[in-house]
Amino acid sequence: MLEITSTPLVLIAILGTVGVALPIISIARKEKGSNSFYAVIAFAALIVSMGYVGYQFVSDHVVPSALFSEDVLVDDAFGGFFALALLIVAVFTTVGSFNYMRRHNSPAVYYSLILLSTIGMVLVAYSTDLVMLFVAWELMSIPTYVLVGFMKRNPSSNEAALKYFLFGALSSAVIVYGISLSYGLTGSTNIGEVIRGYAALDPSLYPLALLSVGMFIAGFGFKMGLVPFHQWLPDTYEGAPPTITALLAAATKKAGFAATIRIVVMGTVALNVDWTLALGILAVMTMTVGNVAAIMQKNISRMLAYSSIAHAGYILIGLAVAPHSSLGLQGSLYQILNHAVMKGAAFIAIAGIVTTLAVTHIDKLKGLGRRMPITSLGIVISLFALAGVPPLAGFWSKVLLFGSALDASATLGWASWLAIAGVLNSALSLAYYGWITRKMYFEGEKEKRVKEPKSVIGVMVFSMIFLVGFGVYPEPILQFVEFATPVLSLGLMP
Amino acid sequence: MATEAVGLPFEATSTAAWLVWILPFAAAMIIPGIGKLSKQATGYAAVGFALMSALSAASLLPLAIEGSEIHKQITWIEAIGLKGGVLADPLSVIMANVVGWISFLIMIYSTGYMKGDKDITRFWFWMMFFIGSMQLIVLSDNLLQVFFGWEGVGLASYALISFWYRDKKKDHVGQEGRTVLGLLDYYAPTHAGMKAFIMTKVGDVMMIAGMLLIFLYAGTFGFKELMGGTEWAVAMNAEGMLVPAFVLLFGGAIGKSAQFPLNEWLLEAMTGPTAVSALIHAATMVKAGVFLVARIGPIVFALGAAGIMADQFFEIVAWIGAITALLLATQGMVNPEIKKVLAYSTGSQIGYMMMALGIAGLSHQYVDGYTAGFFHLISHAMFKASLFMAAGSLLHVVGSRFMTDMGGLRKQMRKTYAFMWAAGLGLMGAPFITTGFWSKDAIFASVYTSGNEWALPLFAIAVLTAVITAFYTTRMIGMVFFGNKSRHIQKMEEEGHHIHEASLSMWVPYGILAVLTIGIGLIGLSTEHGLHHMFEVYLGDSFGIHSGYAKPESTVLPEFLQGVNPVALGASLVAFAVGIGLGYTFYIGRWVDPVRFVNSNIFFYAIHKVILNRWYLNAMVYWCFVVAPLWLARGVFRYFEKTAMDYGMNDGFQKATAWGARVVQGTQTGVSQSYLFVFGAGLLFVVLILLM
Repeated sequence: MLEITSTPLVLIAILGTVGVALPIISIARKEKGSNSFYAVIAFAALIVSMGYVGYQFVSDHVVPSALFSEDVLVDDAFGGFFALALLIVAVFTTVGSFNYMRRHNSPAVYYSLILLSTIGMVLVAYSTDLVMLFVAWELMSIPTYVLVGFMKRNPSSNEAALKYFLFGALSSAVIVYGISLSYGLTGSTNIGEVIRGYAALDPSLYPLALLSVGMFIAGFGFKMGLVPFHQWLPDTYEGAPPTITALLAAATKKAGFAATIRIVVMGTVALNVDWTLALGILAVMTMTVGNVAAIMQKNISRMLAYSSIAHAGYILIGLAVAPHSSLGLQGSLYQILNHAVMKGAAFIAIAGIVTTLAVTHIDKLKGLGRRMPITSLGIVISLFALAGVPPLAGFWSKVLLFGSALDASATLGWASWLAIAGVLNSALSLAYYGWITRKMYFEGEKEKRVKEPKSVIGVMVFSMIFLVGFGVYPEPILQFVEFATPVLSLGLMP
Repeated sequence: MATEAVGLPFEATSTAAWLVWILPFAAAMIIPGIGKLSKQATGYAAVGFALMSALSAASLLPLAIEGSEIHKQITWIEAIGLKGGVLADPLSVIMANVVGWISFLIMIYSTGYMKGDKDITRFWFWMMFFIGSMQLIVLSDNLLQVFFGWEGVGLASYALISFWYRDKKKDHVGQEGRTVLGLLDYYAPTHAGMKAFIMTKVGDVMMIAGMLLIFLYAGTFGFKELMGGTEWAVAMNAEGMLVPAFVLLFGGAIGKSAQFPLNEWLLEAMTGPTAVSALIHAATMVKAGVFLVARIGPIVFALGAAGIMADQFFEIVAWIGAITALLLATQGMVNPEIKKVLAYSTGSQIGYMMMALGIAGLSHQYVDGYTAGFFHLISHAMFKASLFMAAGSLLHVVGSRFMTDMGGLRKQMRKTYAFMWAAGLGLMGAPFITTGFWSKDAIFASVYTSGNEWALPLFAIAVLTAVITAFYTTRMIGMVFFGNKSRHIQKMEEEGHHIHEASLSMWVPYGILAVLTIGIGLIGLSTEHGLHHMFEVYLGDSFGIHSGYAKPESTVLPEFLQGVNPVALGASLVAFAVGIGLGYTFYIGRWVDPVRFVNSNIFFYAIHKVILNRWYLNAMVYWCFVVAPLWLARGVFRYFEKTAMDYGMNDGFQKATAWGARVVQGTQTGVSQSYLFVFGAGLLFVVLILLM
């Protein structure tokens, strides 16, 4: 049994209570529009949650990354790592909304939904049971459908929500189908039991087991934005409120990876199939399509949407080579954390630009460096970190990822091609990151400086310190990642 | 004895070692903020932080004197074994104090010199950045960290040399319209900054190549680690890479210390504010190269104990130093600009230091040459900083960089006159009373007694250079303070400008250094012995380099000169007497007119012209490395870039990418049905590759 003070339960208590209480308070207060009041409450709840996760780490209450447990949830370092990354993004979103939601109605519901979705994401990372995972998955997804369509008078927001919901429903169905298949094959929904069952499976049933793994890849791949399950993503990211896009791109995507690492990677190890090739092909396809499509985009949200598809491809490299190099999953986790900060900050910056200048077209960003200097600097640093320019934090995670591919090539001949594809794609991505930078700093006449939202500045400063600081001195994060990464070997099997 | 620990550096003594270089950087970070509030406050902040940094350095002195050291490391990037750290051993502590205190005095001077400049915030920012970078070099415990400081120094020098980037006529150097080999010998500040940056960068590239070579074999950049074992050196030596690697490292020092053949940037560097010149020449920039050689020299020499001889390395150091010393000293004799004379003099004096550090490795008494070189570094730092600041005062008052526009100033600027004599005597090596004499004498002695096959030619060059040094220093003082007032000054006085002494904040710093030059000079020999003893212990303890034998007691010399080599002493005295005598004849006594003397026969005329044209070195550098590459670049641009690259590669790649993007976008129809279809097909695809 989990202790009552274990991290996932406490997070449910904190975030759940506040999440449910917010709409009730709003009804009781009988007033509209006091956005910052609710934002502060949500912000406080998230900070307390982060503090608790951190405290659990510091006070050694967290078990090393176990992956398996008899319970439905496990309080391990892997889950804690994801919880921290996801909570950072949730904080970004909340802080960014201080300003963004000022002109919109029903803020209480909005923040409540963010908190509930956050619980879902965090629980996905902590789950060790398929049913628990599915419940958490839905808890994460359903509030975001609403949030994407939150601008109900805006047609593109509606279209985005509809597409997102359609695909969300489809992928949920696919996941459920995968779960039922694996339950039928092994007689359990506990992930550890399932994998043990797979390992002892009659070879004539392998195709069914593979079908269920394929279902999981497709179902989670929808959230991760893997090609070819990505097509909803640009439309949704573009139409959704940019603060919510930050949440989708930087957080729910990461929950997809958490689930994939827990289930797919371990499951395929047990099945002893060459799934590295499948993930490798998906990785190369994903990053190439993402980057090539991003190059010609005119809308900055859409461009970054494609860029986040490309990043899912990079992260997948680590998963693909995981059984051949211990660095693989470390690289993925590191990139997940960095991407959460980089993309989160970039989309929050866009939210700031949208509220102050009401532009998203890239040509309209001319001279932004003079109009909104701090926001622009934050964007540039995030973009360069995304491209992996040293000495920013994004550089080290890419070094680890591509290094793991080279490391794996000793036993997996074609793995070095993953590194080559990754490096070429990073170079290609600089083309459009550089293009935005050029627009902001080297074009335009003498624009006047406008007032930048304080909340956006806060997010920018935090992300700049994070990206530059841990870029120059990456050691603490490297150690944290090493601690949080599960060790893949059949010996650890339950 | 050696306190070594890995961990966070939070103990009191080692904190001081970190603070020495962190404080100036911290100041650089906050100065722009202060500048928003009050421009004047930036100066106080800079002086305050420079003082704190210098005090931190001073707090390390007791440690150095008792011969112990602090070595603290923090793990920087575990995966590739990179560590950062401070190494405060006697060498770096003394250097840190020289840099710290001289910088502090220069900062005080700058508050007066730069008063009213509207870009003052930028000035203080870069000055503090400069000092911080230099202290980083000094206190680093590994080559990589040194390189960071090294590049910081290069960047700051670029920014400060071209500080007056508006390129006004008065900020140029050289005579307008003068050409050498068809190229203008007249440079704007922005050009000068770029020139310094690029020329030193040539050295930096060599240095990083050398560093990486060593890292390849040793797997570490750390000095202590390199001292700790010899396997890496054995391996390098076996493949013949040891000497090349260290010569490449020395290449960095050649660039940074303006040694031949990368010496030409130093002259144009005079476009910066004079305070910057003082900092570059006395404390922060050119001394970095000497310090680097002092850092790596003992490591190389100590390898001798393991049977690995690297004599070629030391021969190259010594000869580069000797050539530079003579080459630049000769040019100092003829140049009409006061700051340029001082710049030539710096290059030449640095050459002396290199010569001493090089000859040290070729003799049995490593510590002799080592001490001599380092002692000269200290004494040079004092008198050269003083001379530069005094020259800055002259520029400030007269408004011209040409000595021909000065003359007869000794009545109006008594203090400057006196201090310039004092510091100038140090540069000349005036016997028995100046630091410059004792340090130069030590160099002569170490060269003379080294027993190397090249000892005599090197000694001859050293003495000849000393003669020339004494001559050009006298010439400078003569042209500025003696004779009649120049037409320029007469005109100024007619227009109502009153020629007056510089302000208090300006003359006090160079006064202090001038007095110190004489003051320490009076006890120069015992200072040298103290330094000698300290380095003897240091080299013995840290590197296992022990002196071979005791110095022979001299019977020829009186009691107070015990330990001085009589030949070297005699040579110093003669060189000083001849140099100052000639200088007096031409420029103070003015018994012979130098212009008429030079024009008296074709031989003198030709020599004068060659020297004045900088031995044609600068022009040749420009022809080979600027003009010719530009031609080549234009050719490549017209016949390759415009054709193959632009129409072929560039357009082709762009079109291909755009086509790819359109194809991908084509699939993004926006129609949900087609998306769902792709999703289903994708699921099938994944299952198929899994089944494969």
